[in-house]
Amino acid sequence: MKVTIKNWHAIAQWRWDIGSNEVDDEGDVCGICRVPYEGCCPSCKMPGDDCPLIWGECSHVFHMHCLLKWLGTAASKQQCPMDRRPWGESIVSS
Amino acid sequence: MSRRLQKELRDLQLTGCPTGIALLKADDFQTWILSLEVLGNTLYEGEKFALRFVFDNSYPITPPAVMFVVDDENQAPIHPHVYSNGHICASILGNEWSPVLTVSAVCITLQSMLASCKSKERPPDNNRYVSHAPADPRKTRWDFHDDSV
Repeated sequence: MKVTIKNWHAIAQWRWDIGSNEVDDEGDVCGICRVPYEGCCPSCKMPGDDCPLIWGECSHVFHMHCLLKWLGTAASKQQCPMDRRPWGESIVSS
Repeated sequence: MSRRLQKELRDLQLTGCPTGIALLKADDFQTWILSLEVLGNTLYEGEKFALRFVFDNSYPITPPAVMFVVDDENQAPIHPHVYSNGHICASILGNEWSPVLTVSAVCITLQSMLASCKSKERPPDNNRYVSHAPADPRKTRWDFHDDSV
């Protein structure tokens, strides 16, 4: 049998590489806005490069915009919302 | 950020509130009322309290205003950190707030604060505080001096 493909469309799926493969219910949402990492923060409309994630030295991950909003308050004392350790951004090469 | 509250509401409705906690009123994303009981063998056995959460637009970046409801039907629990006007001196509602905390997490913390209480007393400065307290407990500058209860 010979099949001629007239047209096709591909569907792609993407995820941020958060450095772990475990997918649990709580683990893949931003702890601040509770939206999945692959979604975007409440201030953005489109997920992706314009609404990236940010990694802490403490290994906690948030939407960058959510975390910056928190760190922009005096109340944050520049601490990670999860463990209250001083926030330091982890520079990962990708 | 009411989308976060929408998610919290859906979670509470779908998976249920933590034991001893119930949602009494959540008609909007400004004010919620929850009931709180301390289960087990504690000083508050058989008592039921109501908690009012008031959210502003920047929740969860800023904490909600949380207080016990004091009206004809409800009283604030008698506890060294709870004033008779319903205001609560708890660090997580003030300078230890974190945006990863949720309504449910706050309720559980307050539940365990009551559960570990050794003697039912009002704070030593209750009368002085209540006569001058601002309507919004977040405007109070608390001194957190006692982590034991």
